[in-house]
Amino acid sequence: MKRSTRVLLSILFIILIYVFVFFAEKYMDPFIKRILNTGFIYVILAVSLNLINGFTGQFSLGHAGFMAIGAYTSALLYMSPESKMSNFFMEPLISPLDRIQIPFFWAIIVGGLMAALAGFIVGAPSLRVRGDYLAIVTYGFSEIIRSLFNNLQNITNGPLGLKGLPTYTNLWWTVSWAIITVIVVRRIVDSSYGRALKSIRDDEVAAENLGINLFKHKVLAFVIGAFFAGVAGGLLGSLLMTIDPNSFSILFTYQIITIILLGGLGNITGSVVVAIGFAFLMEALRFVEMPMKIFGITIPGILGMRMLIFSILLMITILFFRKGLFGEREFTWEGFVRLFTKRKVNQQ
Amino acid sequence: MIATQTIQQPTSEKKTILRMEHVTKRFGGLVAVSDFNLDLKEGELLGLIGPNGAGKTTIFNLITHVFPVTEGKIEFMGRDITKLKTDKIIRLGIARTFQNIRLFGSMTVKENIMTAFHAHLKSDLFSAVAFLPNYQREEEHIHSMTWELMKEVGIEHLADYKATSLPYGLQRKLEIARALATNPKLLLLDEPAAGMNPDETLELNKLILDIREKFKLTIIVIEHDMKVIMNICERIIVLDHGVTIAEGTPEEIQKNPVVIKAYLGAGDEDA
Repeated sequence: MKRSTRVLLSILFIILIYVFVFFAEKYMDPFIKRILNTGFIYVILAVSLNLINGFTGQFSLGHAGFMAIGAYTSALLYMSPESKMSNFFMEPLISPLDRIQIPFFWAIIVGGLMAALAGFIVGAPSLRVRGDYLAIVTYGFSEIIRSLFNNLQNITNGPLGLKGLPTYTNLWWTVSWAIITVIVVRRIVDSSYGRALKSIRDDEVAAENLGINLFKHKVLAFVIGAFFAGVAGGLLGSLLMTIDPNSFSILFTYQIITIILLGGLGNITGSVVVAIGFAFLMEALRFVEMPMKIFGITIPGILGMRMLIFSILLMITILFFRKGLFGEREFTWEGFVRLFTKRKVNQQ
Repeated sequence: MIATQTIQQPTSEKKTILRMEHVTKRFGGLVAVSDFNLDLKEGELLGLIGPNGAGKTTIFNLITHVFPVTEGKIEFMGRDITKLKTDKIIRLGIARTFQNIRLFGSMTVKENIMTAFHAHLKSDLFSAVAFLPNYQREEEHIHSMTWELMKEVGIEHLADYKATSLPYGLQRKLEIARALATNPKLLLLDEPAAGMNPDETLELNKLILDIREKFKLTIIVIEHDMKVIMNICERIIVLDHGVTIAEGTPEEIQKNPVVIKAYLGAGDEDA
């Protein structure tokens, strides 16, 4: 298949998605719409973390920290001065943040850039360590951010968090950012840069002995991943309408890691499908946290039971599908067409 | 040590490509390489031999700065590379293969070679993501060069196979092709014939001589298989316990009693 055909098909597909978004925004049940929004935010998070963990092989646990930076930065930029005033009643917000208000789009971009900057500052020293050590360092970073945001009363409003954020986030935003993330990551991965990242994952010594600057490329993956995490954080903040430092705990990172492991490390298609499925399953499984009666025994509702089910799912996946549900099979238009031609052959 | 004072080679008027002066490497109390000196001329094919643990691979690791030298100086094309980082040294024009094959396991044969072109990629990340014309041109160039290299070593029919699914001998050839993709002037081959059968070894000899000619390479080869060393090398350096014990042409080395002693223990003249 020619490249131009593939691009054309992709454009048609994207138009189709937007047609869906158009009708969904108009007629869809707000509850489902909310789940979809969450799903697309998970897509951004999963695909961007996959760039770091899956393709570059640098096991990072810092994604929640980058999200927090993106969420707070953008929220402080798009909130109205009055809303900020009512939020910061303990200590006033430092100037000039208390007067600034910029459009949602730019606030999200700045949030992403701040997260990317944090990614560089954290990545530069910590990417010298590998494997488990990197996981610990990035986890530490994530906790530092949480603790910092809990204590910077006059910037983040401390543990009180920010409330009454305006709901700008809708399917147009989340879908567009999810598409951008997927395209950018897929393009990187398929390019010469992607080959360099994968070579680092496969064998650092060999990669370095082919003249690939390990440090530069690891930081690159880290910064791009952090940028999209920041964007996702900003979108999530405006969707939930309230953010506090503790909502960006390590548990959030674990959820994203669960998604990319279920979908397959280094598999974008897997991340996308599982991320949206994850959002729906999270809602569908809400009943397990309710009090229930089994064989006459009343079990009180236990918060967090849903995660237990995901843990079991993850274990089953690792036992039976070691490379995730999708393995190494990526979505391609060639494969898509083959799916139909094969069916035709069967029908004849 | 008679053989250490080699006769003047006819290559002496050629330019020096790699110069190593008094290079020593100590790991704690262990001296892995001791006072190693080398003056490698352009186009030369040098063999590095010695019993296991003699320090041969360590010398390769020192040249490409996998770890730093303890003492001494390494110069490549007149430039001091002793303190440069590995990836920088490679980009200057040194390439190597590994004793224990190090291919990228998740990639196909073709992708393994294509990866090696990345070090000299001129397009920035943005042009690669946006697929701008300058990147497109480079990517096309990488594709055609990769194809040529695969043909050169005779693995073009395996282009889309997983690299690690290849038989051992072909994996070695793929590693050589991948090393060539970095556009080296000096190629370091670490036991290229290990795991090859006699036929494959003969083929390898031919391949090494061919690529030297075609890519105008200077080659250092570490090898235990004497059929390789004695047939293709013009000069041989023998190491034992990190010390250079002999240097000379294949004929000289074969007759050298010190070398025979190092390999066989007692001075058995008939060996």
